Parts: sequence; C-alpha cells; structure tokens
Amino acid sequence: MNLDSIIGTFLAESRELLQQMEDALLQIEQSPDDPELINAIFRAAHTIKGSSGLFGYDAIVAFTHVAESVLDRVRAGEVRFDSELIALMLQVGDHLGGLIDWLADGHDLADVSVETRATDAELITCLKRYLEEAPTAATAPQAAESDHTEARTASGETASHHWHLSLRFGADTLRSGMDPTSFLRYMATFGTVAHVEPVLEHLPALDKLDPEACYIGLELAFVSDADQATIDGTFEFVRDESSIEIIPPHSPLTAFASLLQLRQDEGDEQLQRLLRCGSLTEAEWLQLQTPAVVAESDTTSMSTFGSDDAKSDFPTLAAGNTSPASVATTDNAKAAKAGKEAQRGGGDSNLIRVDAAKLDQLINLVGELIIAGANTRMLAQRSGMLEMNESAETLSRLVEEVRDSALTLRMVQIGATFNRFQRVVRDVSKELGKDIVLQVSGGETELDKTVVEKIGDPLTHLVRNAMDHGIEPAEQRLANGKSAQGVVRLNAYHEAGGIVIEVSDDGGGLNPQKIMAKAVQRGLASEGQPLSDKEIFNLIFEPGFSTADQISNLSGRGVGMDVVKRNITALRGTVELDSKLGQGTCVRIRLPLTLAIIDGFLISVGQASYVVPLDMVEECIELPGKGLENQEFLDLRGDVLPFIRLRQLFADDSTPPRRENVVVVRYAGIRAGLVVDQLLGEFQTVIKPLGKVFAQVPALSGFTILGSGAVALILDIPGLLAQVTHNDNRAGLASSQLNQVNHLRSNAQ
Amino acid sequence: MSNASQTFDQGTAEQYLTFSLGQETFAVSTRNVREIIEFGRLTPVPMMPASVLGVINLRGGVVPIIDLRQRFGEGETRIGRRSCIVILDVSRDEVQQTIGIVVEAVCAVLEIPPQDIEPAPTFGSHIRTDFIRGMGKIDGNIVVLLDIGRVLSLEDMQQLASTAASASKQSA
Repeated sequence: MNLDSIIGTFLAESRELLQQMEDALLQIEQSPDDPELINAIFRAAHTIKGSSGLFGYDAIVAFTHVAESVLDRVRAGEVRFDSELIALMLQVGDHLGGLIDWLADGHDLADVSVETRATDAELITCLKRYLEEAPTAATAPQAAESDHTEARTASGETASHHWHLSLRFGADTLRSGMDPTSFLRYMATFGTVAHVEPVLEHLPALDKLDPEACYIGLELAFVSDADQATIDGTFEFVRDESSIEIIPPHSPLTAFASLLQLRQDEGDEQLQRLLRCGSLTEAEWLQLQTPAVVAESDTTSMSTFGSDDAKSDFPTLAAGNTSPASVATTDNAKAAKAGKEAQRGGGDSNLIRVDAAKLDQLINLVGELIIAGANTRMLAQRSGMLEMNESAETLSRLVEEVRDSALTLRMVQIGATFNRFQRVVRDVSKELGKDIVLQVSGGETELDKTVVEKIGDPLTHLVRNAMDHGIEPAEQRLANGKSAQGVVRLNAYHEAGGIVIEVSDDGGGLNPQKIMAKAVQRGLASEGQPLSDKEIFNLIFEPGFSTADQISNLSGRGVGMDVVKRNITALRGTVELDSKLGQGTCVRIRLPLTLAIIDGFLISVGQASYVVPLDMVEECIELPGKGLENQEFLDLRGDVLPFIRLRQLFADDSTPPRRENVVVVRYAGIRAGLVVDQLLGEFQTVIKPLGKVFAQVPALSGFTILGSGAVALILDIPGLLAQVTHNDNRAGLASSQLNQVNHLRSNAQ
Repeated sequence: MSNASQTFDQGTAEQYLTFSLGQETFAVSTRNVREIIEFGRLTPVPMMPASVLGVINLRGGVVPIIDLRQRFGEGETRIGRRSCIVILDVSRDEVQQTIGIVVEAVCAVLEIPPQDIEPAPTFGSHIRTDFIRGMGKIDGNIVVLLDIGRVLSLEDMQQLASTAASASKQSA
C-alpha cells in the first residue's frame, strides 16, 4: 500500500475532524454543558492525536496531548467550557490546522517557522493553566481509588506496578498500513515501555510465509500514569482485527489467569514471557495454579478488546465472557459509549471516499451514452418499427435517469460551507465590537462540488461586508427601534434549474441617492439618467465604483464588489442586490447547478442548430409577419419584448423561411426574444467546452453533439443579451421612447 | 547527452506526411498527425475568422477545423473529391490541443533525411517565414515543412477570434 495515499487520508480526515471540532465548539457556546458536543470535541482531538502518533508526527501528538488532557477534564466536569476556553480551543484547532497544512505542503514538522513554534508554546502554556487549576477536585477520586486498591490487595492482587499489554496483531495489520513498532513509538510519548517480549510462535515455516502478513505479537510491560482509555485508544485502529489485552497495574490474578487461558495455544512460553516481563511473580504463578482462582477466571474483569470475528487468526474471549466485576461501573459506561460511537461510525461507513477524477470520468461516459442514446432513438424513429421505437424510448428514459443520478454524485450540500461562516461571523463581530449572529437556512440545498469550492471566497466577502458596513452600531440600532443584536442571514434554495444563495442583513441598507451621486462622480452614470433603485444598487458591482475612501462617506458597502461579481460570473452565475433604506440589504447570487449536462431546447437557423438552456426558455411564439422589418421589439400580449435576429447576428446569409419563430428567453429578470427559423424541441445537452480556440466568442457557451452526429452550438444567453443591449446603446438607440425597453437594456449592462 | 541527441538527429530521418494545397506541397511531421479522415459535415461557428471553418464531431469530441490557405492569407481551399481533414495534435507552451486542417489531397508519408532539409528562406516566400520549419528536397521537388505548432498557435488564433468577434459586433 502506498504510504502517500495513507498520509493523504490522514490529512483529509484530520481536516474533517478539526472542522467537526470547530463546529462543536461554536455550538457549545449556546449549550455549554451538552455532553454530546464535549465528547465530539474530545473525540476529534483524541483521534488526531492517535493517528498522528501512527505516522510519527510527534510534534502534533505532544501538542494535542495537552489539549486532550484539558478536554478530558472538561469531560470529567472539572473544568467548564467558558467563552475563554472556547476561544482557546478554537485557536488550538487553528494551530493544528496550520500544522496539517504544513504537512500537506510536503514540509517536515521539524522545519516549522519560529512563529508557529511560538504559538505552539503559548497555547500549551494557556492550556496547562487549565490542568493546574483546581487540583483538589482531581485528587479526591484518586485517593478514593487508592484506598480501594489497598482494600483489594488482600484478595489476590498482583504486585506489578506497570500495565501489562498482550498484543497479537491481526494478519492484515501491515496490509492496512499499520506498523506494530509505531505503537511502541507512540506509547513512548506518554509512558515508558519497560520490557518487550516478542511472540514469534505464530510465524509459519518459510514456505508458508506470506511476506505481507503480520504474524508478530508482543508482550509489554508499560509504565505510565495514563488512564485506561488513553492506552486503549492507542490501538483504536487495529482493535478490530487484532487481539489486544490490557491489564492495569495491580490487577487481580484472575486477569492473568484468563489471559493465559486466552493464549492457551502458546502454552508455557506465554507464562515465561509474563514472568520475564515482571508482570507476574513466581509466587503469584503458583497461587494461580490453585483451582479456585482458575475457576473464577471466567468471570474476570479484564478488559477485552479482541475481535468477535471467529475467523480471526487468534482466539479471543467471546464477548459475553467479559463480565463486570470490580471496575464494572465505569467500564460499563464506557462500553455503552463505545456502542454509541460505533453506531455513529456505522452511519459514516455508508459513505465512500471517491476520487473526484473518477466521478468526472463517469460523467463523461454518461455524456457519451446520452449522445449514443439520442442517435439510437433517432434511427429507431426513422425505421418506423413500433417495437424498436418503444425500446429506444425506454432506453432513453433510463439513460436520463442514469444521467440524473450520476450528476447527483457530484452534488454536495451547501450547509458545510455555510457553517464555516459561524466562525467568520463570530471572529469578525468580536473584531468590530458588534453583536451579530448568523442565521443559516437552506443548508440542505445541493449543488455541484466544483461550484461549492469556488463560492467560498465571494461569500466570505459578502458576509464581511454585511457585518462591517451593513449592520449599524448597537446604539444606532436601538435608536432606530431595532434589537441591539444584528442578524446576518445565509439562505439557499433552488429556483428554475439553478441555485440561489442569499446573503442578507438587517442593517441600515443602502441610500440610492448617495450611490447615484457617487456613480455620477465616477462617470458610471450620467446625471438625470432615469434609473430604478435596483439599477442604482447594482452599480456598485461596476469595476471602479468602489475605493476604500468611500466606505465612510457612503455609509454603504462596495469594497471589492466588482471582484465578487467577476468570481460569480466565472461560474456562469449572476449577482444582484436589493436594499431598503433602514431595513437591510440582500445580495442574491444565482448559480447553475452543474457545469456538465443541461436540458436544452433545440432551434435552427439556416443549416445550423443551436441549443438554448431549457430553463431560460419561457415560451415560443410565431413572429408576426408584418411591420417588424426595421423594428427590434414586438408586442407580446401588451408587453414590449425586444428581440434579436440570430440570422443577422451570426451573419448567416441564407434566405429566411416564410415563417420565423420567436423563442422568448428570460434570464435574471431580463426577457428577450430570439428570432429563429425552426423550433426542434427539447434536447438533452452534454456540454462540450468551447476550448481555447473559441473561448473568445461571446455568444456561445459550448458545443454539443446531436443524435445525428452533427455539432450544435450552445448559446450563451446572458452573454448574448448583454452584448446585444450593449450594441444598441452604442448605436444610439438607447433613448427609445418606450420606457420599458430602456429599462431592460440598462438592466443588462 | 547532447552528443547522443545530435547523432540521433543526423542519423534518423524523420517521417513527414505530405499533402497538397493550392499549387504547393506541404509537409508536417507524422509525430503531430493523429489521423486522416474524409471531409465530412462541418458546423460553422459564427463570429470567427474565415480561417476557422468550423467544428466537427470526432467520436464524441469537438474538434475545430482550420483552412490553412486562409490562415496563410490566401483564398479559400477548394473542397474536391480528394479533400481530407488531417487531425493534428498540437502542443505549444504545454497546452495540448487537437485541431484539424483541410487539405486538397494527401500525398504520401516520406522520410526526409536531415541533410535534405534547407533552412527556411528569409524572403521570397508568400508564407510567413516563422510558419516554416524548413524546405525539404524530395526527388528534385521542394516541399514546405510546416512548423505546425506555430501555424496553429492558440494565441494567434484567439487574437484573430477576438478581433473577428468585435468586428462582427461593430457591424451588428
């Protein structure tokens, strides 16, 4: 197995865990005593520590160990999660994230920068404070335990002061990327391995030896102050397939008796090993021989983490045999918890990590399948065979379903992205000294993974803007009759084959007059230009509108809004802004769901076929025959509809047919007609990218292949509308007497 | 190392695909040639320079087709019975692109030994000299060895495309 890929998994998992930890930390602010959340945080830290140890990342282990100890005290109820500790833990998470990133970049942990080291030390100092505090509470149970210990000495307790670990690694240990020695290395971080006895009995003869299998076992004498859970945790990753027995110091003799019984197949040698480890003395051994103790051994309290799998190479105790005796209550609680965790783990195991490239390949193939299917369907129709036709119809319906489910594979919920902003809002509101909460809704809305990855930056910008410039200071809010706490909302929903993401706030809103004045000053609009409020607001997305000095005198936003717009446009999306003075602002981002396959509407002009994305098509009408020769708009049931003659735009010099049709398209509130020859109906369109050669053509967004094998062009409706309205304005037609036309055009600018 | 590659250069004659266009014979290295297909249905792409004839469907992929004569600033290539499309793999500046060219007829695959290749003339040719890799002598005839990466340079064509697009914008 490739070590790089395992490390990759480690890095990915650690990041996920850190994210879970952060989420839980942010939630815990609301409910500080929720044991589920505390456990989630602890688990995350613990697992990171464990897996870092396996890879020998000692710096991470050492650091996380301190954090984990603090969390353990929180779990034990000795320390409470206050805002200070939450902030500290968030920093801990960030620091670990930094270390993980450092590793991901292929650096060595030994080479981390001086600042990182300083942060490390500083955080450890802060954390240690929590460990020192309130020692009384901690010692009390310990004392009680030692009393208990003394009481037990009489009843056949062993003399050894160390833990005894009996490890038989599963045959697949090496194959799953684990190295038995790494456990020793890791254990050395929280204790001393006093004695090691290798167990080699299971090693087969050379001719039967599988070089990839693990045959080794270890008997360890381990001196450590760590608790059982920590030691257990060491073997978390191999527990399922290995037989791991851990006997605490001063355990009753019966524990060893049952261990010996468990390792019966190793006979006397195992006993000798126990003696050599010093875990058992000769005298104790002799005592063990007495039948009374042996009989008792079946009901021992030894903690067993052996596999239940009967096929395992090593015999293990049946699960039922481990009955609660002395350490019963705590162990039981632990077992119950472990069960819970296992259940949770069961949920996770339904997920499969898949390389995104494989998904892309699948989607490409589905694309080919759709093209081939369309071809078959066309041939079937041409053949006139009824049965053939039916079969082809069934086939294409199935292919359509395959397409839909293939596409959903790439879909992820936007919730995770939204939740990241809890942290942003928390940090920025502290920074600004404003009390602001983030409300998230529609987190279950799904969209393409590539889109999700790219939407983060623009969203961050918008959220920061809303907090910085949108939400007023508390006094002003109170004076305006609002609650002192500002609200920023993130919302997502599906609409017309796309997704809409809203970033809104209940702040002061934008003042259209001021923006207009600024726009005129910047030369983006002319004085007295009749613009609606909405058009004015959207001026702030214009490049060159915003500069830093404007924040104050505009009391609005606008810093870098053109960058936001550019990012969104690159995703084939649009952005618009709505605001009510004194009530708040809402920025609405519209994005396509996916970038690979769309439902299209096929039209033709002359010899050429074009595809319009179906979700933008509103209706189709016949072009009224007369009186429109020099006109660029028509009357659609009383409304003015501007239109574009594709034949003219694409300089197609074929003669137009007697009857032409108009496809009415709508995009982002703009409606326009496209004059075409023929309407050919719906068509499943696999988008083939334009490629470098055609990237500059403004009216096209891609190619697709028709069932006949011919290539059709996919029209870029937003680009087309923008370009045509632009042309009209240049030609000086902007001052049309029809207000609505004017409206539409300036909107598209 | 450099010695070895030199002897390789001198010792092995590279193979060239020759084809005719107008009155001339051109050649491209067979290393660039992916396949030759018959001239088929072409979809024109609007707002592109005349040298970009359009696109074809090559087994599910969309491949742009270039008219070399128009690229050289000459008239249209006549499509006849022997016309073919030569599909070329062009890589330039580490960008790999598949592009087809229309030729009037494909002639042969020939080996041209390095000693039979003359450097490109600095003048006297009606084709931009940076398009020419050299002049090959075959049986007393001269063929123009094209630097196909340069001829089908993406930057150049993009530039052409954007000027064409803005020109059609102006006229619209």
